[in-house]
Amino acid sequence: MMLSDEPYRWAEAVANRREYIEDQIRPGSPVVGVGYEGGILLLTLSQSQQKLFEVYDRIGLAGIGHSTDIEKLRQAAIDMAHAIGFNYSEDDVTLRQIVYFGLGPAMKAGFDDVVRSPFLARVLLAELDGQEGAQVFYTVDYDGAFHRRETWAVVGGVAEADLMMGRVFSELDAEALSLTDAADVALRAWAMGRWVGTMEDVPDDVAELEEMADGVDVDDVLKTELQNLEVEAVVLGRSLVGKNKYRNLDAEEIAPALARFKAD
Amino acid sequence: MMVSGGDFVDLLRQTGYRFPGEQLGDAAGDRALPFEPTEGTTILAFQYADGVLVAGDRRATAGNMVLYDRADKVIDLDAYSVMAISGSPAVAFEIARILEHAFQYYRRRLLQEMSLPAKLRRLSLLIKDNLPLAMQGIGAVIPVFATYDRRDGRGKIYFYDALGAQFESADFTTTGSGSPAIRGAMYYLNRWSGRRFAEMDRETAIGHALQLLDTASEYDSATGRYERSADIFPSVKTITASGLAEIETEELRRLYAQYVDGEEAGRA
Repeated sequence: MMLSDEPYRWAEAVANRREYIEDQIRPGSPVVGVGYEGGILLLTLSQSQQKLFEVYDRIGLAGIGHSTDIEKLRQAAIDMAHAIGFNYSEDDVTLRQIVYFGLGPAMKAGFDDVVRSPFLARVLLAELDGQEGAQVFYTVDYDGAFHRRETWAVVGGVAEADLMMGRVFSELDAEALSLTDAADVALRAWAMGRWVGTMEDVPDDVAELEEMADGVDVDDVLKTELQNLEVEAVVLGRSLVGKNKYRNLDAEEIAPALARFKAD
Repeated sequence: MMVSGGDFVDLLRQTGYRFPGEQLGDAAGDRALPFEPTEGTTILAFQYADGVLVAGDRRATAGNMVLYDRADKVIDLDAYSVMAISGSPAVAFEIARILEHAFQYYRRRLLQEMSLPAKLRRLSLLIKDNLPLAMQGIGAVIPVFATYDRRDGRGKIYFYDALGAQFESADFTTTGSGSPAIRGAMYYLNRWSGRRFAEMDRETAIGHALQLLDTASEYDSATGRYERSADIFPSVKTITASGLAEIETEELRRLYAQYVDGEEAGRA
């Protein structure tokens, strides 16, 4: 079949591909990034499988989707960062480069190549105190489309999940959040994303979805999920000594934010 | 074949990078060098009570010219290890830069720390890669690698020859042009002064390192001594269970006054 000769079939093939990919990613565990007074917090819930990763001194990565696809993207980002860091300097390693010239094109090429499996993943990257600002996030979709955000960013299983998660952050002064408040808002956002990801049918009408979302008991969603899943959280912390700003948060540090969501 | 990745030198080669020693080939032949190579000078390391102390003077020379008096030859590789260099600074700094990235790259890429034997092996391979430059007489690097092994709970010191052979030093080591002047002194101190290096507390250890570097500079013109006019002290670093620490100028000034100029100066 010559795809270029048959525009309708081509459009149909792309739509099928999107549908397939989105079905694969939808049930995954969302990831959340939010700035706080000490830097950037990345948070997700998982069944003890690592989902948050260090890319470079001030850059972290998180993804939703097929674990091996996320792994390939993670490795590509790390390779690129270290090659630039060595051949130029640490200051030349920027998240913008990694996304514009690395992950974005790689994911786009994977999506366009119809004879190969695409990347079944959406990723979120965060950069602390880079050339673009104190807290910068990029999200890269499975088709290579990327978006830049400041102060917070999310990736859920589908675009509608991102929208509902984003509502949690409205009217929030992210730079002034304490770590506990940042973890609290991240957990709530995660729960909204989870809720959308597990819906049978996500309504096409956003207003309708928002109305349904208003009726969701976030505490309840989290209490249920925390019975099977564990919180994974890392920070890019400004106060860390040395060049390396990436650090795992331990259970005690996340406990205050978690306390209210634990089942009684 | 499946490969796990994590080899930083492999990654560099893919980007077109070639190690200085690899580029030389036969280009220089047997001709005399058209310039005096830059060299660094006295390095010492010993076990003290809390871990390992590593110190080096700050001078870099080219022939009988003093090229630079602020060179830092004790280079941090990660939070628990340093490489101290005598020999060619150009190659040594390149090796240190590769290693620093290689350790981080391995840890991030493979999601585990590089083991101490692997770190030693990486350094050894880079010294071997540098053999062409060492053979030309312009780029030999004789490093000392010091670290704190958290698994064994003690500091460790390794030294290398120009071909990359690696040796662990039990008590102390010294390399560089000033090292013959103090090797015997270090042996004497450790054996007969009544206080082994391993028993010295932090301040005593730093004080003795300053005395030894001053001794080296007395006999070796390529080893710098404390520059009163410019206030330049040697580099002194400690590695303990809590990691790597650089001794600040203020403390060095105080201990220099005490151990090299002052009250402790007359005592071993």
